[in-house]
Amino acid sequence: MSGAVATVGRDVGRILEALGGLMLVSLVVPVVWGEYYALPALLASAVVPLGVGRLLYLRFKSADAPGRLHGMIVAATGWFSVGLFGALPFLLIAWSTQMGVPGLATPSQTATLAAFTDPLNAVFESMSGFTGTGLTMTDNEEVLPRTLQWWRTFSEWIGGVGVIVLTTAILSRPGSGSLTLYESEARSEKIHPSIVSTVRTIWWIFILFTVVSILALWLAGMPIWGAINHAMTGLATGGFSITDNSIATYDSVTIDFVLLPVMLLGSIAFPVHYLILQGDLRNFYTDLQTRWVFGYMGAGAALLWGFLYFGGAYETPFGALRYGLFQFVSAATCTGFQTAVDATNVALGRWPAAAQLTVAFGMFVGGAAGSTAGGIKLIRGATLAKGIRHQISNVFYPETAVRRLEINGRRLNEGEASREFMEAAIIVVLWISFLVVGTFVLLLVLPAGEFSLANVVFEVASAQGNVGLSSGITGPTSLPQVGKVAFLFHMWIGRLEIIPVLVTLRTVFKRGGLYA
Amino acid sequence: MRPREIPGVASVIEAGAEDRVFDALLLLGPLVIVLVALLHRSILTEIVAGGYIAVFVLYTLYQGLS
Repeated sequence: MSGAVATVGRDVGRILEALGGLMLVSLVVPVVWGEYYALPALLASAVVPLGVGRLLYLRFKSADAPGRLHGMIVAATGWFSVGLFGALPFLLIAWSTQMGVPGLATPSQTATLAAFTDPLNAVFESMSGFTGTGLTMTDNEEVLPRTLQWWRTFSEWIGGVGVIVLTTAILSRPGSGSLTLYESEARSEKIHPSIVSTVRTIWWIFILFTVVSILALWLAGMPIWGAINHAMTGLATGGFSITDNSIATYDSVTIDFVLLPVMLLGSIAFPVHYLILQGDLRNFYTDLQTRWVFGYMGAGAALLWGFLYFGGAYETPFGALRYGLFQFVSAATCTGFQTAVDATNVALGRWPAAAQLTVAFGMFVGGAAGSTAGGIKLIRGATLAKGIRHQISNVFYPETAVRRLEINGRRLNEGEASREFMEAAIIVVLWISFLVVGTFVLLLVLPAGEFSLANVVFEVASAQGNVGLSSGITGPTSLPQVGKVAFLFHMWIGRLEIIPVLVTLRTVFKRGGLYA
Repeated sequence: MRPREIPGVASVIEAGAEDRVFDALLLLGPLVIVLVALLHRSILTEIVAGGYIAVFVLYTLYQGLS
């Protein structure tokens, strides 16, 4: 047995044990809401990953400590396994309701919940949650049992912390954007020297921000259950809602504007939050990514406002500002909350084409590396932009000139600059390649003439960018089975920033097994 | 019994921004949410929730400007 298999098996086992523990904690929800019929299903859902995880751990507990390669494979297989086992509450609660639980009052089945009796729909919802995407197989979230509303929210929240830990503590490498956060001359190295204390601090910040967000939304007028769920999914930039029309259900200017800072908090790198909480407010403008979060979201929202107001989508400047600002921030932070719906104003799908394209661009770029946001990440956009300018201006200098590329306060020599530029370029090229392949697949399987090319590109970009805004394609019946499987892959690679998934697949297929 | 000896408190104090005010906000936060959930919306609960957010925002600014 390869030593790497043992290391990966042991760590994936621990991840599954943790997943089972989270399901056990969630047993409080059906008890509080009196949904006792959901208890056996949730308990059974917890026992499976706990059992499998325990077996893996006991079998491989003496395995070697993981290296970087193992870290990538553990992240990719762990995330996939969590998506798979995390589907059990959806599947089992849907079947419990379908068949009835002896001795416990069970509500009648709804079409929304019945969708989860299909295992693929359940896995889709779970993967969408744990990757922080927010695309859903439900057609009316309001009628879901509170237990499942919570599990969807909890999966995004946990996934949000997971991706911060992944990018800031485990997979940080030159060019990833995460190492840049640490190596900046403007600040002292990492949050903490060890991974364990870094993870603890990330949890500390995340829980503190969650509490503040919950109370802010409640003060803005949201009922407490809605505030808890939307604060958690907003901060995790996941975007699952417990209402049918997302945030538009509340039709409240105050709630819209209170959610903006919640989503922005989620899209700023958590090492920067740590420094700000320690009193170093300068990071709002000295950190490249944070500066860009505000700069490009401000510029994008202003552009969108122009398209919406002068394009005639909204009659008043304030209407265009309210919906344009919210939707651009929602897209660029990769949250996916929606306020632009026909029930209260003008649906996003009916906005002028230029406005929709602006939103799509926001989804593509995303937020900061080291945050919960998706997309290619701001640091890569900045590295590419500065790198291209550096390469072009090289022509105007003598060959003997020693030039350095400056990114986020770091002065890179030729070798470092080339390495960072190449990795950023590779990820962007891969991102676009998978977007193109996904678009082809979806065009092949969707009914001809039902959706435009723009709709399809928008939907695939939304899945791969872990955004969750939909042009109407995703749904239990509207998205064909092949499309659902393709989207599972897009959400998975998008969350892990592609490379770890490719490393895992290469390891499995190329070598016929794991590296020793 | 010192606060640090209460289960869970030590790990909160050891993690985070190493700041007692933020530690206290983190520990009190869940209690405020439970209070709001149990007592529903009233002047009292709105003052408590508003006070919590005000302390968080003002203290963060104070930390940065001092």
